[in-house]
Amino acid sequence: MAQGRGAAQPLEHDLLSEYDNMLSCVRCGLCLTSCPTYVLSGHEAEGPRGRVAMARALTEGRLELTPDLIEHERNCLVCEACTAVCPAGVRMGPIQIALRSALASSDRPSPRARLARHVAYRRAFADMATLRRLTSLLRVSQRLGLVWLARRSGLLPLVGMKDGAALLPSIPDRFVTPKGEVYPAQSRAAAPRVSFFAGCIMSTAFAELDHATIRLLQRSGCDVSNTAGQGCCGALHAHSGEVDMARALAKQNIAAFELDGDAPIVVNSAGCGAMLKEYGHLLYDEPEWEGRAKALVARVRDLSEFLARRELPLRRPVNAVVTYQEPCHLAHAQRISRQPRELLQRIRGLELREMKESALCCGSAGVYNLTNPAESRRLRDRKVANAIATGASVIVTANPGCLLQLRAGLAAEAGDVTVKHIVELLDEATAP
Amino acid sequence: VSDKRTRQALAADLRALLKQSQVVDAPAELQTFAYDASFLTQLSPHPPDVAVIAGSEDDVCALLRYANERSIPVTPRGAATGQTAGAAALHGGITLSLNAMNRVLEVDVPNMQVFCEPGVVHAQLNELLAPQRLAFPPDPGSSRMATVGGMASTNAHGMRAVKYGPTSAWVLGLNVALADGRLIETGSAGSRAKQSSAGLELTKLFVGSEGTLGVFTRLRLKLMPVPSTRAIVLALFDVLENAGLAVQAVFREGISPSAIEILDARCIRAVNLYRPGMDLPEVEAMILFEVDGNPPGVRWDAERIVEIVAPLARSAEWSDEPRRIAALWEARSLIGAAVGVLRPGSNRAYCGEDLCVPVARIPETLRAIQEIGEKYRIPIATYGHIGGGGLHPGHLIDGRDPDEVRRVLQVADEIHELALRMGGTTTGEHGVGAVRAPFMEREHGPALDVMRAIKRALDPKGILNPGVIFPDTVPLLKLELPLPAAVGTPMRAAIDPG
Repeated sequence: MAQGRGAAQPLEHDLLSEYDNMLSCVRCGLCLTSCPTYVLSGHEAEGPRGRVAMARALTEGRLELTPDLIEHERNCLVCEACTAVCPAGVRMGPIQIALRSALASSDRPSPRARLARHVAYRRAFADMATLRRLTSLLRVSQRLGLVWLARRSGLLPLVGMKDGAALLPSIPDRFVTPKGEVYPAQSRAAAPRVSFFAGCIMSTAFAELDHATIRLLQRSGCDVSNTAGQGCCGALHAHSGEVDMARALAKQNIAAFELDGDAPIVVNSAGCGAMLKEYGHLLYDEPEWEGRAKALVARVRDLSEFLARRELPLRRPVNAVVTYQEPCHLAHAQRISRQPRELLQRIRGLELREMKESALCCGSAGVYNLTNPAESRRLRDRKVANAIATGASVIVTANPGCLLQLRAGLAAEAGDVTVKHIVELLDEATAP
Repeated sequence: VSDKRTRQALAADLRALLKQSQVVDAPAELQTFAYDASFLTQLSPHPPDVAVIAGSEDDVCALLRYANERSIPVTPRGAATGQTAGAAALHGGITLSLNAMNRVLEVDVPNMQVFCEPGVVHAQLNELLAPQRLAFPPDPGSSRMATVGGMASTNAHGMRAVKYGPTSAWVLGLNVALADGRLIETGSAGSRAKQSSAGLELTKLFVGSEGTLGVFTRLRLKLMPVPSTRAIVLALFDVLENAGLAVQAVFREGISPSAIEILDARCIRAVNLYRPGMDLPEVEAMILFEVDGNPPGVRWDAERIVEIVAPLARSAEWSDEPRRIAALWEARSLIGAAVGVLRPGSNRAYCGEDLCVPVARIPETLRAIQEIGEKYRIPIATYGHIGGGGLHPGHLIDGRDPDEVRRVLQVADEIHELALRMGGTTTGEHGVGAVRAPFMEREHGPALDVMRAIKRALDPKGILNPGVIFPDTVPLLKLELPLPAAVGTPMRAAIDPG
């Protein structure tokens, strides 16, 4: 931990560091109709402009941490839709991270809640080996039908599966464990090297998608380094107020990927990609890390961002009507909207139909479906209805949270619409 | 209403009284009703004692009846995108938020009108109407956030007013809840006629009254068919004066463009910084002429404008390519808030932002605005609706420098003086609010007394939006500066407005 940070520092430090960001808000209101919680409620305090105003008043000492302030700030999905449309350059992500850090250090949680937080953020999602052990436990319980064990492991809610173990993805037999091994390109030409960011949930519960991503990168002519020493990106921590832990994970990842030189770092989870691209801001006041963080940020590419500029051996048609649901952390936080669509349209036989409000959050938003189940469900149902209205048989997305959320939403509907990560369709289309 | 107990009692009363509305009285929530987009409310936020998010017409009437009996101020509020401190509770009391009353009640296609609640967002209304090839034509830059209720209460104009007129030209009737809670319908009760000569035109009286005469609970809006084609002429001028001459020449030719927008040199630079792909030459002024109608007419108009403008301009070209048109309009509509890119670390201060002068005096006015900026050492980027004479100066300040904050307020005053000296008005389309009320005596002379008489007749207790339009109702505002840049812990400075 760097000097000057942590619990000894007054709460205001983090907020003051975002004060200029807050002052940038000229209150034009352009963000209002982009904000999912404002659209649902019509309440100014549930919109970006109101949230920035409350944060500013708190920083200026005109407000205290009152229950209503805490509630409205925590209701923010951190979907960054407001950031993406703001003409004055206000960035909601860093404001929310600063606020949540302030809120977490003023919380007085019950011992049980404290223990759950500790297990989740300081054990499970802090160390990949522990996470793999816990997820294996889930796998065993699934195989044995011991659903109660899965429920009681405490991990389900954290991966967004509060609604029941029945909706949990079938835990694969083979996790992706980065050990620094290199998967060679499937081409004779000189192959560029990429580093693969495996992710925590992606490499365990969704390990099949990680395997598919590695295959796809190989087929696109890249040597794929499964970089050793990498871990969770820290997004769950940052958005839950565990900023010190997020910073520690950032440093771990920076050090790990530095060993791969300047190879692009390819990420298949929109949430992780957005977080990795935030490292420069996260470590802005730690001089020995800031430069290294910015060097990493310059290398990070979402999978679709990377593949859009490459040839793909599209050998097989995929005969399906699909619709694309934009992950917030791709469309808003990383401003990547065009590339996934272009990739889908390259696939023979595939028809892409646009849904209404494709870029409005599906309600997953990290652990939002756990912390705000009612609002989350309203957004989820709205999204599913918009998707079904297109007549598509597949909803395509690019983020684990969205995948789980949409699957849960579809389980409540009759019909045979499925949800897929974009890598699944590209894997299918490029299979030998 | 001021102390905590009275405030709680007020909230309790309203909760008991109102059936379909949300009553807000938590401290942080109230702070989110303390502002609009004006620089004044950035410096002087005014939270109400209680806010009500209205859910029905009945509730609005009940609330007004209650407030009028007790002489409690009521401040109506839409999306609070105004720039005049017109939606902040300057005298405390109740803020009545109407943005959740956002249903489109009926689209009457054959009669080309729509009935809607005040909270409907302008862009969303037009998206809903698009499949019928109909539109509500007033087109403010804030289309994506502004509500039709707010547009009516400020008589918003927007970019196409030069051809289609202001909001008032498109409001056929209003349901208005009066100060005492009575509900009236203007524009002939139950009528679906598109015109009328029956009696005093109350609709036009209420439109633009900024919440001082009544609260709109339903609007009957006139629609027009969407023109099948649009084209845009982009003209660049090395000499500002030539831009003014070009506009006059186009009108003299008998062409009626649907929009004529000017961007000064600083705005052009801001567009280039904000949208690097646009790559505009950085000349003294740029004008966008838009023409609409049927394809041959549009082509004829656009080509003719290019011919007329060419001798005065460095370059003039036209396009009817929808993507190019959309990109240019997007750049134009974002410029208001995006001018901040011109000076990293600075932000736009919305004050003195809406003068309107005679069209022939625009070049002279633009130069005078630059001189005011130089005098007070504040960079100003100006754009506007040159076809109607409306100009929007955007002042860029470092909000954490108390001296710049003081100077920009002086800039605003000088710009208002300039507008009157040029034979114009202090506000072309945003409204008076609190910020321009001090100029109303000079702007209207004895006519202001007639306005006062109307106000007294409709709102004898003065509960409706006190503090706007009428100078004698504006309270002395204490300005609170943002935290200075150097501080490490929260602290505040206060200055007097004088």
